[in-house]
Amino acid sequence: MSELSSELGVRFPDCRDMSVETLIGQVSGGEPLAVGDERIRGFLTGFGRRLLSPELARRHPELASLGFFLRPSELTRLLDGPRGDHLRAPRGLVFHVPPANVDTVFVYSWALSALMGNRNVVRLSPRAGAVAETITRTLRESLADADPVVAATQRIVTYDRSDAITAALSAACDLRVIWGGDAAVGEIRRHPLAPHARDLTFPDRTSFAVLRAAAWLSASAATRGAVAEGFANDAYWFDQAACSSPRTVYWVGTASDCDVAREEFTAWLARAVAKRGWSVDAAMAVEKRVATYGLAADGDAHAIDFHGNALASVTLAGPEAAPRRWLGAGTFAHARLDGLGELARLVERRDQTMTHFGFVPAELELLAGALGGRGVDRMVPVGSALSFHRVWDGVDLTAEFTRLVTVIS
Amino acid sequence: MSVFTLSQEAKEAALLPELVALTERHRRACLPYRRILDAIGAVGPYERVADLPWLPVRLFKTHELRSVPESAVFRVLTSSGTTGQRPSRVYLDREAAATQPRMLAATLRAVLGERRLPMLIVDSRSAIRAATLSARGAGVLGMMHFGRDHTFVLDEDGGLDAEAVKGFLTRHGGAPYLIFGFTFMVWSHLRELDLSQGVLIHSGGWKRLAEQAVDNATFRRRLGEECGLRRIHDFYGMVEQIGTVFLEGPDGGGLYCPDFADVVIRDPETWQEAPPGVPGLIEVVSTLPTSYPGHVLLTEDLGVVHGVDDGVWPGKRFSVLGRLPRAEARGCSDTSARSAA
Repeated sequence: MSELSSELGVRFPDCRDMSVETLIGQVSGGEPLAVGDERIRGFLTGFGRRLLSPELARRHPELASLGFFLRPSELTRLLDGPRGDHLRAPRGLVFHVPPANVDTVFVYSWALSALMGNRNVVRLSPRAGAVAETITRTLRESLADADPVVAATQRIVTYDRSDAITAALSAACDLRVIWGGDAAVGEIRRHPLAPHARDLTFPDRTSFAVLRAAAWLSASAATRGAVAEGFANDAYWFDQAACSSPRTVYWVGTASDCDVAREEFTAWLARAVAKRGWSVDAAMAVEKRVATYGLAADGDAHAIDFHGNALASVTLAGPEAAPRRWLGAGTFAHARLDGLGELARLVERRDQTMTHFGFVPAELELLAGALGGRGVDRMVPVGSALSFHRVWDGVDLTAEFTRLVTVIS
Repeated sequence: MSVFTLSQEAKEAALLPELVALTERHRRACLPYRRILDAIGAVGPYERVADLPWLPVRLFKTHELRSVPESAVFRVLTSSGTTGQRPSRVYLDREAAATQPRMLAATLRAVLGERRLPMLIVDSRSAIRAATLSARGAGVLGMMHFGRDHTFVLDEDGGLDAEAVKGFLTRHGGAPYLIFGFTFMVWSHLRELDLSQGVLIHSGGWKRLAEQAVDNATFRRRLGEECGLRRIHDFYGMVEQIGTVFLEGPDGGGLYCPDFADVVIRDPETWQEAPPGVPGLIEVVSTLPTSYPGHVLLTEDLGVVHGVDDGVWPGKRFSVLGRLPRAEARGCSDTSARSAA
């Protein structure tokens, strides 16, 4: 398709090509939806059930988490919101631009928006992977039991670079949701929105872990195993490139405690990684060498240790040297802190998730207060980095996907 | 006078002390290099060439690595990196800049002889005239030093310049002459010509020919049948080890290492040297990089050693099998903005 083409490929509710104008006309017509519309809820729970089928879950374990997210009780919980003088209303037409490389993100974004009663157009990258294919096929299959209003109001489309289509969808929507990092946000923002419309953006984010060395050293073997496995899941699932995957590991404690804890933790992690069979190919192995040798060349890394190709451990010159950039799947930069509070001066706006081990709630709340929203939108236990929640990147998506109508009698 | 003389054992014995000395020289003179060696715990003694610490060649794209003060830099070479990548930068002092063409000439002498030969270039003159010289153009310019009476096979529009070729063959066709071109250019343009006295030197890689399912044997056979070309030599080299080329022997049985260089094929899982017949990543070693720490480099090319001391020239006999793909991660952030529009 050329730059000027307005033809796009529809992938849901059926598969065919049409012009973007036709698509916008179709999705804007028909019956309105309500917040928490039963017809949408019925469709979402039916779709979620299909994702939990043993056959699908075995092939694509990440779809099971998605299916779990869409179970009826969870959908009811998602609909909790403001009461009293305010009524919630859908925003209208929502245009979603998910990232190409995380196959499941578009579903969370779209499902929450649909649940809130919006009409949706999701732009799926032509580079989207096999999981995205499976998802759209399962969505189409789920239509069999669904109310026709679902097919009338929801669209998943795909098109290769086309400013014309992006511009038309941007002009038509009431809310535009851009995932995929700084470059994607900048690129999409070239296209104006209607005056009342707004963007919800998910720019580049990075994440870190913080562990109390003394807590690790006094933990039972069972706890250490669980922490190591949880950490491996956080990091390796998306090649450590998910925005919430930890890259730097801060150890809090004395120098000697931290040295011992880091060594032990790395050994446990290596076992957990081997147990899960996570591995990296030769290209990734070289990538990790380039990245870590580069850190050393810059004076930011004092030591680099490889535990096979799957796990590289970098000892940073200091906590200030924490790299935000991706260093290749399974590369962890370790630094030591005297206290958790030191993070207040180290955290940056783009730091998103802090996975933690060995701290009490009061300590975490104290840090959150000291940070004052200057970074770190999530503090979750090690192992929960990738768990999707309606509150993401510091915003409540269910609130963003609705408007509030004040009604005072 | 040939630089293809040393058996593997003799080469190992000759190269090891020189490369160890270079490692220590660069360690002293290049701070980023020293930091890397410190971080990976690379300390001697090194008993074999394969024990020496290597640098990923891509570091020359991301870092300024030189072992001479800025004031001593005589030339900075840059590679045309892949689109969107920074080019490699290679810093030569006066001595290194003088050595590299001398050693390249010594290497090519093995197949070209002592005298400068008339030269047919499988490209068009515009390739070396462009305001921003392409890698291909730079390669052609570099090779032009080894020939005289340069004649371009292609006209300005990229078509065969039959008149020019005919004139060249009339003048020089009765005695050996040099033909140089990039591998895919040679394959596309050298057809149905009598080039039986020519010595073809080509380089640039097999990617585009592999796409057409053309391998080296097919390449050599067809040029033999159609053009009478019997003396064909591929070579492998890179800007990060300028002056060092690995040259295909007369029988087409593989690339050979000059006496001042060698290759180590590494298993990318264990990083140990792979035995002959087992493919791995190509590490290139050379004693030429004296002004920058490029004497032991891990490339992103895959290769295989076919045999040792069993070919027309001594030492390792190897082939380049292709390039490692770039690592791509799944993740939230799109690596290219283009995908978003």
